[in-house]
Amino acid sequence: MKKLMFIFVGLAVLFLSVPAYAHFQMLYTPEIALEKGGKLDFKIVWTHPFADEHTMEMTTPVAFYVLSQRGEGKVKKTDMKGKLKPITWTGKANSARAYEASVKVRSMGDHMFCFVPGPYYDKHEEAWMQQITKTIVNVGGIPGNWAEPAGLETEIVPLDKPYALWTGNVFRGVVLSKGKPVPNCDIEVEYINHDVLMDKNAFARSNYVEAPQDAFVTMTIKANANGEFSFGIPRAGWWGFAALGVGPEKEHKGEKFNADAVIWIKAVDMK
Amino acid sequence: MRKKIFIVGLLVFGLLMAGQAFAHTPLCSCYDNGDGTITCEGGFSDGSSAAGVEMRVLNSSGNVLIKGRMNEDSEFTFKKPDGSYKVEFDAGPGHVVEVPGSEITE
Repeated sequence: MKKLMFIFVGLAVLFLSVPAYAHFQMLYTPEIALEKGGKLDFKIVWTHPFADEHTMEMTTPVAFYVLSQRGEGKVKKTDMKGKLKPITWTGKANSARAYEASVKVRSMGDHMFCFVPGPYYDKHEEAWMQQITKTIVNVGGIPGNWAEPAGLETEIVPLDKPYALWTGNVFRGVVLSKGKPVPNCDIEVEYINHDVLMDKNAFARSNYVEAPQDAFVTMTIKANANGEFSFGIPRAGWWGFAALGVGPEKEHKGEKFNADAVIWIKAVDMK
Repeated sequence: MRKKIFIVGLLVFGLLMAGQAFAHTPLCSCYDNGDGTITCEGGFSDGSSAAGVEMRVLNSSGNVLIKGRMNEDSEFTFKKPDGSYKVEFDAGPGHVVEVPGSEITE
């Protein structure tokens, strides 16, 4: 009996000690600063991009579209929801439903891709989650609407071009909910710590870096009183920013609901 | 004396203003529409419009085949010439972009 109790306590400790790494809605395409327009392949995965210890099952997406603008031209909205195809994404620990999309962008300028996933029920937190996500692609170096709000329920509006960052640059953004800045909110930052294997729908098993301690896996930073944040980028590659629970909706199906605002950036080494 | 300083000042000011106007880079890219026409898009690195910029299509011996201007959407569409050609986006001295026809694909 005592033995059983011992095992039980041991198990409990084991479960409790599983670190709560940040969930991130990936909206990934290998290159976001393009010379010319062409086909873009997106992998849309609900995962923990640094540790890759659990891939979560996505539900049916709510929206996927792109807002394109060249210079001072008109902003053009193109619905891309019909391009979404379910796939099975393989992480280190498990496989789960994710999505992919193959889309074409032609025009020079900015192409702001917006993805609204279906709500996800997190048993551990006993709450619904939804990460409204933006990835901004540029063609040919002509800027467009990168610094404009997309008009999402909640979003991060960049103050630096997310596709034109050198390693060591600072990335700044403003967190908005219903178009208004969210003061003092928490923002989680994570690095995609593995090769993204586009043709295998999987992460590579090997990590780029090892974190010395859990606080380095998911870095939590704070917005200031104006809802602005900044982050110095220490390494080339993909970085995700998730402003937590900032969406205006707080309840879904009678339970707690957290809508996060996510944006992805890509830094490039100077060489 | 005063007048001289004023003139020098004016010159320096003019120079600075001119410098500012050149702080952006002209950009132009073309694609084949697949229906016998080519569309070129243009603009500047600061996002300003290329409407009205002169566009020229030249053959391999440098003769101008087609001449026109960027429309209000900073676009220019023309009939694809036979043989090799190049496109010039001419926004003034130091602001010319050349696009070889061989790089224009669908």
